[in-house]
This record gives sequence, structure tokens and C-alpha cells, in this order.
Amino acid sequence: MRQLRLYLEFSRKAFQRSAAYRFDAWTRLFSNVIFLFMWGFIWFALYSGKGDVEGVSFESMLSYIVVSQMLQGVHGAGTPLWEIQERVRTGDIAMEMMRPYDYPTRSLFSDFGNIAFHFLTAVLPLYVVLFALFDLQIPTSMSQWILFLLSAVLGYLIRYSVELTFGLLTFWLMETGGVEDIFYFSISLFSGSVIPLWFFPDWLETLAYFLPFQGIFFVPNSIFVGQLTGQALIEAMLMQGIWLVVSYVILRWVWSRAALKIVVQGG
Amino acid sequence: MSFSSWVRGTRLYFHMVAASIRAQMQYRYGFFMNILGWAMSYAGTAVTMWVMLYSFQSLEGWSFWQLIFLFALAVLSWGVCVIFFFHFRSLDQYILNGTFDRFLVRPIHPFFHFMAMKFDVGAFGQLLFSIAAVTLAYIQLGLDWPFWKWGVFTSAVIGGTLIQGGILVLISAIAFWTTRSERFYWVVMFPAKSMMNYPLSLYPRAIQWVVTFILPFAFVNYLPALLLLDKPHPSFSSYWGAFSFAVGLVFFSICYQIWMMGLNRYKSAGS
Repeated sequence: MRQLRLYLEFSRKAFQRSAAYRFDAWTRLFSNVIFLFMWGFIWFALYSGKGDVEGVSFESMLSYIVVSQMLQGVHGAGTPLWEIQERVRTGDIAMEMMRPYDYPTRSLFSDFGNIAFHFLTAVLPLYVVLFALFDLQIPTSMSQWILFLLSAVLGYLIRYSVELTFGLLTFWLMETGGVEDIFYFSISLFSGSVIPLWFFPDWLETLAYFLPFQGIFFVPNSIFVGQLTGQALIEAMLMQGIWLVVSYVILRWVWSRAALKIVVQGG
Repeated sequence: MSFSSWVRGTRLYFHMVAASIRAQMQYRYGFFMNILGWAMSYAGTAVTMWVMLYSFQSLEGWSFWQLIFLFALAVLSWGVCVIFFFHFRSLDQYILNGTFDRFLVRPIHPFFHFMAMKFDVGAFGQLLFSIAAVTLAYIQLGLDWPFWKWGVFTSAVIGGTLIQGGILVLISAIAFWTTRSERFYWVVMFPAKSMMNYPLSLYPRAIQWVVTFILPFAFVNYLPALLLLDKPHPSFSSYWGAFSFAVGLVFFSICYQIWMMGLNRYKSAGS
């Protein structure tokens, strides 16, 4: 309990820090909107002259892109990969490890604070207006809303674990250029952030189902637009749960190795 | 500047470039990973395009290989541009740290000096990807260009370098007034550049005009690609694509003038 209060204090501080750098939150939103705009027009052109494609209407697809950009806007407020790289490069990480808290948890709670600020002051107002302005599909029942929120949170935690794990590779590689790009590519394609898995070739779709990334955006987005229901929905969320546990275990394992590495190098 | 000072400047430039490359080669593993990483992330975008067109066949009448050609043409000139100008975006860091002043006290032209500061070898990744992609697209589309089309292609690459370089110079000039520049790159230029990877005719007319007549991104890849692939545009003449080099030259010199204006303002601030 005291532990939780300690970590929540980090969220509070991060929230205040974000408030001090409001400019950053709003500029980030600006680029988020440009990308929303770009994908909106691309999908509009892809659908022009067509009815449903693979059983998906244009309205559903547009809602999918909008909700996807909204979640990406939220995710963009927390960047554990950049942070850990900076800390390893500058040596700050040693200070972090001397302190009486667990770094991965501390960093997660700081991101909660950043996200809360970014979400409340930038993402939420903008997307409420967008959903009201354009006649987009939103969840029709309370249970659909709850499942979407739950799935989005699971997705966030999966991304956090995977991203921090990739970031921790800095301990061994010093220069993470290539590894980082594998991560960014996987998250942009296999998470279904811009192209839903429905439109993938079968073999690629199967591959994507067996990767953790689809749990990040694809599952919550599909729940939101009502393409994922019943049995398939329960299975997909179960998969998210399993991937969260697996990626968290991997993160802890890599973190313990990294901590050892620092001791070896003499801090 | 007189002729001899140009010669001296050029020799100095290459000298500094060699030093910059040696510095980047220090971490050999990182050096190769960096190049590989860039090449892969562009290949990633190409894969995304392929997946997108798998169910939909074409985008605004552009087939997959035509789209790849459009995209790779932009990456090619961007690669050249990165080598010379990419570090301009972080001018704000130099100003904030006070390290920019050293560019002012040396007997070299400050613009030249700042430009020579870094010769980004990571950009070989962009070149690697784009040359391979353009070659593949050329073969897949069964193109057989006459001599003048190769001229258009070359003009697009040089013009594209100047246009994108000009925008980077413009972004860095903002730092003289606001002490911020890097942020503008990520917030404005990066998304705008991503939009240009797709056919311009997707977007509303107003945007098409802005990127043709104000920030001439359209001359980097879209207009030359129309001409090179014999594609029509509802309102633009396809021959506009032949003017990339001229547009680049004019645009870059305007951006350079603005940068120098900013520099003069920076000096007069007495900092």
C-alpha cells in the first residue's frame, strides 16, 4: 500500500511536469492530427467506388482509423524506449538503481501521469469533437465500452513491456539503431495501427495473430467498431492477457540481467 | 566571397567531412546497425504499402510498383539531403548550449561551417533502400526511358535534395527567433514528408496548392513521377515535373537568405 502511494506520487509529479511543458503536448497532438488526416484520405481513396471490402464498410473503417489514432495519441505521451536509452547513455541509470524503488514500475507510473495530462487536455477534447462532428461508429452498449477500455489498457501495458524490453537492449548494444527499427516496424504493421488485420494476406494474418503486437491496437479498435464480438472477442482478450503475462515475464528477466550488467561494470 | 576563399572553403569542407566520418566509424557496430536500421524502416513502409494494396489493388489509380517508385524517389533525394542537412534541425541545441557561438568566431562562413559539422553516413541506409527500390520498380513497370527522362529523373533528385534541404534550413532558422527547431521538424516536416509518400491527388485541393506553390514538396516526387510514369493529373500539367531542379534552386536560395537574416538577428542580440 505504501509502495503504491510512493509510485502514485511519481504519477502526480509527472502530471505536473507535463503541465509545465504544455507546448509539447499540443505540438504532439498537431502531428497526430496530420497523420489522422493522411490515413483518413488514404482509406477514403481505397474505398472509393467500392461497397464493403472483406465485409467491412467504409464507415467502420473510418471509425477504426480515428479510434486507432486516438489510442496512438495516448501511447505517444509515454516513451520508455527513448527514456531508458538516454539514461543508459548518460549514466543516470545508476542513480535510478540506487534509489529505493523499482525502475520499470517507477517509469510506468510516471508515464501514467504524462498520459493523464495529455489525454485530458489534448486527446480527449479533440476526439470528442471529431466523433461528434463526423458521424462515426461508437460502441452501442455499456458492456462494449467497458470491454474496449479494458482491452485498450491491456494493449497499453503490453506495449509498455515490449517497448521497455527493447529499450533495455541498450545495455548490451550501446547503439540500438537497428533493433529499435525492428520494434517500430513491428508495432506499426503488426499492431494493426493503420491497416487492420482483416486486410492482410491470410498467411500474414496468421503470423500477426501469433505476435503480441495485435493486442496493442487491433483488438481494442475492433471491439470499438463492433467487428469483434462474442466468442472471438473473449478469445482475443484472453490472448491479450496471456501476452501481457509473457511480455512482462520477459521484461523482468531482461531487467534482472541488465541490473547485473551494471554491477559488473562497476556502476 | 572571392574565388580563392571558395576553394579554401571547399577543401576545408572535405577535411571536416572526413573527420566526421571517422568519428561516426568509431563505433563500427553502431555504424552498420544505423545504416541497416534506416534501410529496414523504409522497407517497412514499402511492406505496409504492399499489405494495403493486397486487398485493394490500387490507390487512386496507382499500382503497387508505381507507388513504390513514388515513395522511393522521395527517399532517394531525402537520403542525399540527410547527408548534408539533417543536423540543421538541431540548431536549437547549439544555441541553447551556447556552442553555436564558435561557428561565428572562426574565419569560415558560418553556414558552410555549420553544414560541414556533420556528414551523416547513416543516410547510406536511405540510399541503399531507394536505389534498390527504384531499380526494382523500373524493371517491374517495364519502363524504358529515353534520354530526356533520365534528365528529368536527375533533376528530380537534385531538386528534391535542394527543396528538402531548404525546408530543413528554414526550420533551423526558426531557432534564431524562437530557440526551438528540432520540435518543428518532428511536428511539421516529418508528418508532411510522410504524406508525400502517397499520391498528392488523395488530398484536398488546398493542400495540393500549398505543397506545389508555397512549400514545393510536390516537386520532390509527385510531379516528376507523373511525368516519368506518364500519369495524368486533373488540373496540373504533367510537364511541371521537369522543373524540379529550377524550383529547388530558387527555393533553397530563399531559405538560405532567411537563415542569414536570422543569423544577423542572432548576432545583434549580443548573446
